Amino acid sequence: MEHLLVGFQNVLTPVTLFWVTVGVTLGYVLGALPGLGKATGVAVAIPMTFYLQPVAAIALLIGIAKGSAAGSAVSAILLNTPGEPSSAPTALDGYPLARQGKAQKALKMGLFASVIGDFLSTLVLIALAAPLARYALLIGPVELCAILLFSLTFIGGLAGRSMLKGLIAAAFGVFFATIGIETETFIPRMTFGLLELDDGISLIPMAIGMLAISEMVIQAGNARKIDSEAEKIKESASPDDRRVTLAEWRRCLPVIGRGTLIGSVVGILPGLGASVGSFLSYGATQRASKAPEKFGTGMIEGVAAAESADNAVVPASFVPLFALGIPGSVVAAILISALVLHGLTPGPMMFVEQPQMVADLYAAMLCASLILLIVGYTGQRIFAQVIHVPIRLIIPAVLFLCCVGAYMDTNTLFSIYLMLGFALLGFFARKLDFSFVTFLIGFVIGPNLELTFRQSLQILDHDVMRLPAHPIAILFAVLTILTVVWINRSNNRHAAQKTALAGPTTKQSQI
Amino acid sequence: MERADLISGVVLAVFGLMMLAFVIPMQIEQAPEGYVSPRLVPNLAMIVVVGLSALLIVKTLRQTQKPTSLPEIVFSRSEMMALLKISTVFAVALVLFWLGTPLGAGVVLVAGTLIFLGERRPLILTLMPAGLLLAIWVLFYKVLGTAIV
Repeated sequence: MEHLLVGFQNVLTPVTLFWVTVGVTLGYVLGALPGLGKATGVAVAIPMTFYLQPVAAIALLIGIAKGSAAGSAVSAILLNTPGEPSSAPTALDGYPLARQGKAQKALKMGLFASVIGDFLSTLVLIALAAPLARYALLIGPVELCAILLFSLTFIGGLAGRSMLKGLIAAAFGVFFATIGIETETFIPRMTFGLLELDDGISLIPMAIGMLAISEMVIQAGNARKIDSEAEKIKESASPDDRRVTLAEWRRCLPVIGRGTLIGSVVGILPGLGASVGSFLSYGATQRASKAPEKFGTGMIEGVAAAESADNAVVPASFVPLFALGIPGSVVAAILISALVLHGLTPGPMMFVEQPQMVADLYAAMLCASLILLIVGYTGQRIFAQVIHVPIRLIIPAVLFLCCVGAYMDTNTLFSIYLMLGFALLGFFARKLDFSFVTFLIGFVIGPNLELTFRQSLQILDHDVMRLPAHPIAILFAVLTILTVVWINRSNNRHAAQKTALAGPTTKQSQI
Repeated sequence: MERADLISGVVLAVFGLMMLAFVIPMQIEQAPEGYVSPRLVPNLAMIVVVGLSALLIVKTLRQTQKPTSLPEIVFSRSEMMALLKISTVFAVALVLFWLGTPLGAGVVLVAGTLIFLGERRPLILTLMPAGLLLAIWVLFYKVLGTAIV
């Protein structure tokens, strides 16, 4: 506690606060641009920190990570184009809200949920990082493999209307994740002799193609309709449509609490990432709602659920980084190099060797949360004006920014080819109702799933009878089976209700 | 639409079988003795795809009377035309990039898409590509101090 108080003294100086504000603002703008997510922002900004003091440097990078996590909701809500895959569920309800003239309401709820999720998750990090180091060691490859399989099945079942299609998409995601040189034997897999594929397919061009470009193509096909709708829809005159009302706060606070909890747990477990957190939270909120069928049509709870979990993942993903030195996310992995550069080596020993530096980092994270609220709230009126721009002007700008984002990944045209290839795949997946989001999640957790699966085979010596020695793994295996049964029954029930409703209409039309 | 589900199920099942029979064995070597086969997970993923695609086909054939999650027309003409037009713009921009004019590629990408989407105002067609290219140049070359091309 003493260290933390001194940490606040170190951070609450004009210079450090200035750099936190620069980081948050830069991150918010980068996050709002499709394809330029927090990982890209932090990676590009690391060279900028060479000339800064360690506290200011780390505060700047933390600010970028937090700002872009919140900023990605802006494009999701206003353009239906998530700045990052983890904001995809935000678009499901945020975009319909914007189309209803409630863009400011959705943006405000997105920001508030982001800040609350982020702030509470930072407190979770502070409270748990050191004590969790002992317990996190209990989660071995067998348990992690079971947890990853459960997450994939859960998301595959929830995303989209058909569990079969969701699981097919997830399997394809895992399959594409295996492309590249295999880490154990160094044997190339499905690279077709292309050196660019040796490191595997990069997530950035793939996600940009599947999420943004394919969506832009569909919007281009419906541009006239969308523009005529946009002309009709004005920013609502009612003040209640521009702010979050007390009744909405009452409905959303438990949702934000649940989202923060889910995001924090997902963040603590290495490898799951923000996309898993936001989708799990969105799915859990939809299931818990009294009106689940209204989700996707402009439910403010959907925005709150997705954004709170998305932003809670970032600080929580530092728990395994600080406790064990294992990055829980892409940002955490990139931040390792910056922390080492500025004299802080992540791992259990840093709590013993550099407690003050750790406390400074915690203080900077808490300050960044509050600065995010100020920057986001001030800038939202400007961002909300995007809704009045005709879609024919937005599409070329988004396509251009997507190309820049994809190209930056490797600085070669190969990234653009990948982006276009996956855009085509995403277009057909969208039209045929195969969940492209499940595909991406499968792709993201695929390497970890494969690694832990292979390690599990070796630990269990290819003998299933040794599984009882891993009760956590058994628990998640059972949960996976139960999830499949539960979602399948639920889908069949919905289909039966549809048939019952469609029956009389069909008969009438036949008559 | 049941037909679209049926066709996609068949296509995916055939794709999965082709991968299992030809592509994976040809593209992934066997591991040395004592290692877990690098083909294991790709094979498992494709077995899951084939199995689930077969289930999708069976389910679609059995539920022809039930309502489907897909709309009557899966691919509308306007969307397919948009796909064709945007693909054309990207093709031209890529050719320009190959020829060593990334600036020209950027201009064609923005202006070409604007024209295909029905924008005819010369001011917009001039200012928008210029503004976007300038903004990217300022952000990367001046603010972040890093070259991207």
